Amino acid sequence: MSAAQVSAGLDLRWDAVSHDYGAANVLSDVTLAIGAGESVALLGHNGAGKTTLTRMLMGLVRPKAGTVSVGDWLVAKRRPDQMAQRVGYAFQHADQQLFARTVLADVSFGPQRLGRPVHRAIEVLAELGLDGFTGRHPYDLPAPVRKLVTLAGVFAMEPAVLVLDEPTAGFDRGLRALVIAALHRRISGGVTVIAVSHDLKLVDAVSKRSVTLEQGRVVADSIR
Amino acid sequence: MPVSALVGMEALSFRYAGSTTYALSDVTLSVERGEVVLVAGRPGSGTSTLLLVAGAYAPRLVGGAIEGGLSISASRPSIVFATPWTQLTGLCRTVFAEVAFGPASHALPRERIRALVGLQLERLGVAHLSTRDPATLSGGELQRVIVAAALALEPDLLLLDDPAAELDPAAADALYGLLKETAAEGVGVLVATPDVERGARVASRAIVLEAGRVIHDGEPAGALA
Repeated sequence: MSAAQVSAGLDLRWDAVSHDYGAANVLSDVTLAIGAGESVALLGHNGAGKTTLTRMLMGLVRPKAGTVSVGDWLVAKRRPDQMAQRVGYAFQHADQQLFARTVLADVSFGPQRLGRPVHRAIEVLAELGLDGFTGRHPYDLPAPVRKLVTLAGVFAMEPAVLVLDEPTAGFDRGLRALVIAALHRRISGGVTVIAVSHDLKLVDAVSKRSVTLEQGRVVADSIR
Repeated sequence: MPVSALVGMEALSFRYAGSTTYALSDVTLSVERGEVVLVAGRPGSGTSTLLLVAGAYAPRLVGGAIEGGLSISASRPSIVFATPWTQLTGLCRTVFAEVAFGPASHALPRERIRALVGLQLERLGVAHLSTRDPATLSGGELQRVIVAAALALEPDLLLLDDPAAELDPAAADALYGLLKETAAEGVGVLVATPDVERGARVASRAIVLEAGRVIHDGEPAGALA
């Protein structure tokens, strides 16, 4: 499958990480390690701290205490654009990362910036069933399709680590199946995957390990 | 269409500005007080557009043109978009102020606003977030706050586009239960979602769209096929 060009995965580590948003404590002394090539589901109620924890991998949230590393890179010493060379992050809200005037331009932006060929973007669009939308403005598309476009953009960068925040929220069975198939290709290629999700069908299909957060602490870490 | 209908569409078609295709085609339906109507269909089938037209947000706010019959007797429609983060005012530093913004714009008395906001934050299970900055909320927390804001406007017609997409399963069940309660208070509720199993559990009726056309209007079970 030509679209599933992948980089070998990298290991991830949070060491004694804490964070708060003013009075609200969102993460408390979290230590967690994820091995290179693992596919892990991050579970927990709304507000448990899942998104905050994963945003730290990109340096988008800097922990108030503790350290975060991606492979041999300490995130605190890197800018988010540097982290983007290793970590592909699909935000929970697609509109936070769509900016180009066409779907193709949007999905091609990341690979082009990393010096990768544009045809990879076209292949990923086809893989996700978006080849009929390449010339469309992303904002003319329904919300679930916009989200699929953001996933295509992240996949096209062929990162070593994929962080997907609610990647199938709002998806029907057909769209979910496309995402699961795309993730299977990348997992079998050795990419490290973290999926923050309430979609248990997705979690069952792609993650052997589940980590559960509750009120900013890891309360369960299990392997099926 | 029934005289009591909050919204009635008669052979209605809708086209967005600049588009050559119809987002809705030949749609005939009505929404009445007290019912939860599930709207189902693949992405692009017209479910979001149906909500926008039913609340008179289209073409008024988004452009486009309607053909056919549309009558809206609802006087206080309220909508929750599939992109709830776009509904934050950007002016409020706390969740409480955010939810109070709508009722305050209607110049309700201060005590009435406090009561309304407190009630809706409680019903949505987000009262503990009332002093938080809305910009720091998680996706699921924000989605519930926006639903609370929509309810604080005391709508007679409540339109929701996949309102539980980012909620954990328990919160999603609670939200759909709340939609049923809201309908029982005399509100017409129109909810579009791909989560047809959860929607069908509380809906009194389901409308299924395909390429902008109604292919089912009846039993909720009809959406599960």
